[in-house]
Amino acid sequence: MGKVKIKKKSTLIDMTAMSDVTVLLLTFFMLTSTFLTKEPTTVMTPSSVSEEMIPAKDLVTVLVSSADKNVNNPDPLAVEGKIFLAFTGDSVIPSEAIREQVLTKAVAKYNEKHKNKVTLTPKMVSNFKKSNMLGMPFKDMEEILNMETTEIDKLMTELSNPKVGIPINGNKEKDGNLNDFQVWMWALSSVATDSRKEAIENAGLVDGVDVQKIRELDILYNSLYQGRGVSIKADRDTPFGKINEVFDNLQTMGLNKFTLQTALKTEE
Amino acid sequence: MAQIEQSDKGGKKKKGAQKKVAIHVDFTPMVDMNMLLITFFMLCTTMIQSRTMQIILPSNDKNIKEEQKTQADAKEAITLILDTEYDSHNQPLKDANGNTMHRIFYYEGMPDSTTVNIAGQKVNSKGAIQLERFFVEDGAGNKGIRAILRDRHKEAMDKYDELKNQWRNKEINKAQFDSLAKLNATDENLKHPVVIIKPGPNATYESLIYAIDELNLNQIRRYSIQHPDKTDSMLIRNFGKANPTLNVERPNVR
Repeated sequence: MGKVKIKKKSTLIDMTAMSDVTVLLLTFFMLTSTFLTKEPTTVMTPSSVSEEMIPAKDLVTVLVSSADKNVNNPDPLAVEGKIFLAFTGDSVIPSEAIREQVLTKAVAKYNEKHKNKVTLTPKMVSNFKKSNMLGMPFKDMEEILNMETTEIDKLMTELSNPKVGIPINGNKEKDGNLNDFQVWMWALSSVATDSRKEAIENAGLVDGVDVQKIRELDILYNSLYQGRGVSIKADRDTPFGKINEVFDNLQTMGLNKFTLQTALKTEE
Repeated sequence: MAQIEQSDKGGKKKKGAQKKVAIHVDFTPMVDMNMLLITFFMLCTTMIQSRTMQIILPSNDKNIKEEQKTQADAKEAITLILDTEYDSHNQPLKDANGNTMHRIFYYEGMPDSTTVNIAGQKVNSKGAIQLERFFVEDGAGNKGIRAILRDRHKEAMDKYDELKNQWRNKEINKAQFDSLAKLNATDENLKHPVVIIKPGPNATYESLIYAIDELNLNQIRRYSIQHPDKTDSMLIRNFGKANPTLNVERPNVR
């Protein structure tokens, strides 16, 4: 009986080409990607024919949460209309600096009118600076901001919790008893005005004369009052009444020019 | 490719020649790692093109004097009352294509509460409420609220289409087109309608965006957002009574 000789074949597969392909793909994704920012809830923005891009800097995003779309939820409206804010800066005032300034101003403004004062600690400030999008009443701020960042992020997703979301009401007096949302907006405009003043002083310009130069220096102030600075992000199925509340509060604070975030309509 | 086999079967081995080893680099772990990274990037990136729409509202400041407010002539205005249909789960009703069912009650000029239009019939009074939708396509061109608004802004829209054709035929560039279109939309020699958008109690945010979209498409620059008043709800109620099949009247969902 002749022995059948089995030829030994190497099982090695050459992976070089595969590696090349994956590296190319990886490069593509790295270059084209814009990272999803961490948000407490996902909303489906309505589609529109508007082709304007969202500015990547000097932007305050007002997120309005939508009702729970799960039909089994007995109370889908409990999570609706919660408000969160995200502050994005630019190269002159980075996001973290804006957040710190706005927080300090807002807390000071809140303490003027309320008995239960908020005392800021370095830990709270640093937690606030690190978080992208937050929303909480001032009265629960000390408790929430003293938690660990991972716990804060977790809490922010529990939309039915009364400690989550910035309170908003129908106050229409700019000098009156501002609600929490209006306090934030007041703080933001105040930071913008201060930074403008500083920019003008540092450059030795005269307000009202060197309009163009000042405009170039102070992007935050301009984007805020030219209508590029505040952007509302809400779900397409949110009732208009909830959105109108935000509109109304912004109008009260004199920020009556703003943008609405939409998705590009593909049809037509 | 990755392995370089060096063999010289032909020649005799020289004394002192270095021993030749097959060089082989295994790229499998590299591929594994790359795949993981790709997965990470795919999951963390957004592919939806987010855009914005600018909106300018009047200030709430009570100190603004009457003459500073831009007065719109109510007789010239078109009023759109937005409404969204809901299903039994209180979720906005969608059609077969997944579009939410919005409807628009509209009237022109001053509201006329004495005449009630019957849907589908010839219009008796302009001031009486009529029902329309955002998208109506029956193959005979665009209908729906877009066609109605276009009709009210005909002079300017005809010029706008002319400009668009010039741009398509490369007679003018994009920047020229944009500035000319802007001039055209505010040209004082042409008649421009004023639109009052009134989102009703059941209207969703999307219906507002759609309404503003229709205005932008029709080059209408003057519009305001208001709340429906008593006359509006009365008109709708009467319209609902005259058209019972449309199921117009129903309790507010929210």
